[in-house]
Amino acid sequence: MRTRLHIKGKYLWSSCALILVALVFSFCHTKITGVTGPPTATVGQTINIGVDVDVSTNYFGSDTYSGNVIIAVLLPKGWKGRENMTATYTSGKGNGNMVFTPASAIAPNTNGLTWAVALKNKFQIAGNLIDDMEWVVMQTDQPLKWQNGDKFVGNCAIKLKVAADGNATSFKPAYVVAQTLDGLKDDPGVADGAPWGPDAVYHNLYKGDCFTVTGGDGDFVDFCNPQLTSIDPPKSLDNDFITLTYNNTITNTGLDNPQAVYLCATATTSDGKTLTVCEQTDKTKLTQTGAKTGLYKLTFWPHQFFGATASQTIVSMSYYITNQAGTIKVGYGGTSDPFTFKFRCT
Amino acid sequence: MKRIFKQKQHLLLLALIALIWTSCKVDKVLPVNESVKDISGNWKVLKASRNGTDLTTLVDFTQFRVKFDATGKYTLINPLPFVVNQDGNYKLDDPNYPFKIAFTPQGGQAVGIVFNYPIVGGARQLNLTFSPGCSLNSYTYTLVKE
Repeated sequence: MRTRLHIKGKYLWSSCALILVALVFSFCHTKITGVTGPPTATVGQTINIGVDVDVSTNYFGSDTYSGNVIIAVLLPKGWKGRENMTATYTSGKGNGNMVFTPASAIAPNTNGLTWAVALKNKFQIAGNLIDDMEWVVMQTDQPLKWQNGDKFVGNCAIKLKVAADGNATSFKPAYVVAQTLDGLKDDPGVADGAPWGPDAVYHNLYKGDCFTVTGGDGDFVDFCNPQLTSIDPPKSLDNDFITLTYNNTITNTGLDNPQAVYLCATATTSDGKTLTVCEQTDKTKLTQTGAKTGLYKLTFWPHQFFGATASQTIVSMSYYITNQAGTIKVGYGGTSDPFTFKFRCT
Repeated sequence: MKRIFKQKQHLLLLALIALIWTSCKVDKVLPVNESVKDISGNWKVLKASRNGTDLTTLVDFTQFRVKFDATGKYTLINPLPFVVNQDGNYKLDDPNYPFKIAFTPQGGQAVGIVFNYPIVGGARQLNLTFSPGCSLNSYTYTLVKE
């Protein structure tokens, strides 16, 4: 009895394995081979970006599959990528337009996540420092037919109107190529070697260098370089809780690894008044996140912190970081100018 | 002897019929009314998060209370950023199966948010998700009754 079952099981597994191999559609490589574009631009300018992709199939059987090539671009949220970006593609499989993938479309092999969420989970903000970015996902307007050994070598030409929020910005753009058949499947086991590599089987991430946009009338937002202070969430109003982080590891500011530092701030209200809180108490204390991390944080409710009335809203604040005695004041870039923050939602 | 046997047979048969007769009865299932969700009482923050970041230990929530009374009024005690900033009236969209709760501050517009009222560890919790400041920022408070 045991022997009979054993033989049966063996065949069962072999059959299952064969069916699985036949069913699983696997790409041999999916890679961004290069990105072209300007290193700088001015606010409101439309720039051209070229993304070269190379997709090649390799699977068991002769079935034909149908799927779209996906190109996702990481942009600051304030740039409103879906409203300010268009793209076309040219390839050995035909030419066409890139269209935005429906926001509700699920990326295969991600446990039911949408493309934008799945990309954020997998690639985060690709080395940028402020989490105020989004993955804008596009796909070929037509599904493409794929057979074993097919290649899609092509170029995606993107036109992007930069900095729709009017803010001068530095950030590291990132791009992902994928396809709607395998989604964000993780299986680096069948990479077809150099120059593709194990991170370019079903999808591939390309991280660009820091791209700088100048001009505009807003604040300069630097996603590339660590700042002495940062505020989370970057887009906040006075009725949010905001977390102010001071990073004492960037430059020598004269604050020599203190236990805590303090906030000295002046708020400007919608009715033109100023409200100052400059004291060294628990209220203004930024606590170090761990021994000698050099990172100090304070989370507070600005409306209450500055004592604004119910009819007042705080539109901006300027601030310094001080030592416990209040004798050392650290300002923007380590200078005597204060840091500034505008309370805004766009 | 034979007669006694027959009598016994009859008795057995009668007993069997009696057993069968009494063994089956129509079970009357009465519809059970879903309880009215009564949230009146003082609620305090058990957990709080902003855009997924835990704020529970970063902000002093210990003094903050939301007081719901049985007449449909709510009061914010030691206010912190919440669905609304002023005291007012609240209303559930359905007393038995609520999916939404609306807060109407005095002199203001009603703000309706999703009502989530799970039982955790034998006690009701109230999970509220809202944006008190910039609409891009989402806060979730888990409240428990005092």
